[in-house]
Amino acid sequence: MEDQPGSPELFMFLASTVHDMKNSISVLSGTLENLLVQSQGAAQDNPAYPQMAHMLYQTRRLNDNLIQLLALYKQVGKPGYPFDPHTIQVRELVEQLAGSQRVLLQSKRIALESEFPPDLIWTLDEDLVLGVLAHAINNAVRYTHDKVRLRIAENDGMLEIRIEDNGIGFPPSMLEAGTLVGQGINFLTNSSGLGLYFASEVARSHKHRGRQGSISLENGGTLGGGCIILRLP
Amino acid sequence: MITPAPETAGVDWAEKRYLIVDDFVGVRQLLRESLRSLGARHIDQASSGGEAIGLLQRMPYDVVLCDFNLGEGKNGQHVLEEVRMRHLLPPSSVWLMVSAEKSVEAVMGAAEHQPDAYLIKPITEGVLLTRLNRVWQKKQIFREIDQVYLEKDFLRAARLCDTQVASHKLHEADLLRMKAALLLKAGEPDLAKDVYEKLLQDREYNWARTGVGKIRMANGDHDAARQMFSSVISENRFYIDAYDQLATSLQNIGKQEEACEVLERAAKLSPNSVPRQRNLGNAALKLGNIPLAEKAFRKCLAVGEYSILKTVDAYFGLARVCGQKNDPKEALALLSIAMRDFPGELVHLRAKITEGLVYHESGDYRRARKSGDELEEMLKRDRDRPDTPTCLEMATLLFAVGVKDAPVELLCYVVRNNHDNQLLHDDVQRIFDKARMGEEGAALIKSSRKEAAEMMNKGVLLWKTNKLDEAVAWMREARQALPNNLRILFNSAQILISHMQDKGYDELLMMEANGVLMHVDKIAPNQQRFAQLIEQLQLLVPGRAASPEQFEAEVDAALDGQVSGE
Repeated sequence: MEDQPGSPELFMFLASTVHDMKNSISVLSGTLENLLVQSQGAAQDNPAYPQMAHMLYQTRRLNDNLIQLLALYKQVGKPGYPFDPHTIQVRELVEQLAGSQRVLLQSKRIALESEFPPDLIWTLDEDLVLGVLAHAINNAVRYTHDKVRLRIAENDGMLEIRIEDNGIGFPPSMLEAGTLVGQGINFLTNSSGLGLYFASEVARSHKHRGRQGSISLENGGTLGGGCIILRLP
Repeated sequence: MITPAPETAGVDWAEKRYLIVDDFVGVRQLLRESLRSLGARHIDQASSGGEAIGLLQRMPYDVVLCDFNLGEGKNGQHVLEEVRMRHLLPPSSVWLMVSAEKSVEAVMGAAEHQPDAYLIKPITEGVLLTRLNRVWQKKQIFREIDQVYLEKDFLRAARLCDTQVASHKLHEADLLRMKAALLLKAGEPDLAKDVYEKLLQDREYNWARTGVGKIRMANGDHDAARQMFSSVISENRFYIDAYDQLATSLQNIGKQEEACEVLERAAKLSPNSVPRQRNLGNAALKLGNIPLAEKAFRKCLAVGEYSILKTVDAYFGLARVCGQKNDPKEALALLSIAMRDFPGELVHLRAKITEGLVYHESGDYRRARKSGDELEEMLKRDRDRPDTPTCLEMATLLFAVGVKDAPVELLCYVVRNNHDNQLLHDDVQRIFDKARMGEEGAALIKSSRKEAAEMMNKGVLLWKTNKLDEAVAWMREARQALPNNLRILFNSAQILISHMQDKGYDELLMMEANGVLMHVDKIAPNQQRFAQLIEQLQLLVPGRAASPEQFEAEVDAALDGQVSGE
């Protein structure tokens, strides 16, 4: 039973600073989304449009990294982290993910496709899983040509969520990092390592009937590009 | 397949009235934009908890989006608690609590008043609409169950849960959780335990394991209960409800120090709870840990300033702490605030007792004696006695200032009214010991217990030998002598019910039984036997169908009558 590292005062200060930062980032990304939506009609001739789209992409990365740092600081996957699973409809998971990425994907002219059994329900920590998937889509935005495909299916008693793209695929170093993280080895040398590590901790905190969640990376898939796979029991 | 956008699920979100509560203007604007994109037109905003309460008093909003962290003053949980306790929102309204990160409060399971959902920033339109729809659908599924619950027909509400599970697999866990809670309310702990255990076969739900622990504890199996609560905590150290239960189970087996340590850990994890800080303060005061008691009571006052759960106990507790620290001045100031802010005779009485104890502990024996004399006079004038903790404090003070007969009478009264509560007898014995009346006290406790037990046993004997009129009369006398003895009160109600089951419905007896049960529910709410007896009593009311089968029989009889009449 360890307490938070550092003094309670420092922790309170960090918590309120994070609260402030997240407010600012929310406002920043919300404002950018509104601006992008408003200027969509004249998008072709507006030279600022692609720059705003990139700003939104970077703001999302900032937000994801902040969430991950915070969650890791509070030790996701340890008994100390408030893990909160609920039974939800997979359809709603897809809706929320698509809703949160809609403007970003449109502004980058990337199509999001999805395949999932319409009536499937699953028990998971929705906020943590949405965080992982949003980050994975953000990542795919960087690598893809013009398409991202979300494929969800029940496979051997596990929920398998695949995020595929039609880019040139992950570089070998990323695939290697994916393999190591999949084996439970921390790989925290760069920012993509942080995302993978977070995803893996989220996956592993899902346990059911003696099985545990996992994360893995592949090249290929149905679109021939990179593919991130989250499996949950 | 094209990715679906969330649909409105048949709800007209455009026509609802919305309230946004956030201290940051940028966030309020952003949320307003999101709501407008759902078509919403009626949107109000508040920048603080106080402002939100003001608006909620005037307008029954359909949806409230409230940030947990509102800067100075009330936080989101305070606002929610006040809204629920003052019934400022209709049950159909949706409360969404917004926070920057997954908060402990979202999963700790202890807060009595929960929002309908927690949202984590940044809130995107897709998430907002999906969660609104989900909460709405869940409210529809629970609407009839909640209604029957309000009518206190717990068993029928539990059956409704089963009906809903059959058609709403998605909400199975929530419905079964509700079903178990209803079965407990209905006085069916074994059935509730079955529900929890079946759920636990599928998944380790903290609340289900804690629920089994509570049932074990209620059955007196404190050791098994303690182990269950400990195992929940080691799996999820944020599940605060398990700490509170663990502390109670430790107190039940007399392990006061360990209970206090558990409460201290819980208060560290979730410091902004008035009841928890009060319990910690009382536990520490009882153990003589003055610094810890002071810290807890001061925190309790600070948290209570913005909370509707503010308690007078913290003022009395802190006054005692000040007395022991030889600062009667602050103690007396606290007592006068307590009397100003919390009206009522009991508060005055408790203030008088605490004042006497403070004088005594800070060495002002003359004033302490004066308080004691006034209380002794009052006890002679008034035959009514206050609740058990107040009686114990009064006896402690009276002994301390040298009075003898009045505190002895008070303590015997307490033992007679709680003749099967061993822990309380130990507390009473300690008060006698402190007054250097150990042996005499032990004898008095023994004879008081015996007196109450004999009174009860005579009633049971009359009842078992079917002398129902005599049994009813005897229990009336017993109630007069022991007005707050739970077992006597329950047995009284039971005997009145047996009388009517045997000799037919009688309105006067019905009212008497009902009065006895209402008194029990007032002095000791949520007893299992209360629910069982109320159920039996309701079946006796003429015209009320005893069971579905009986109802069908009546319908059949009516139909037969019709047929033969033709």
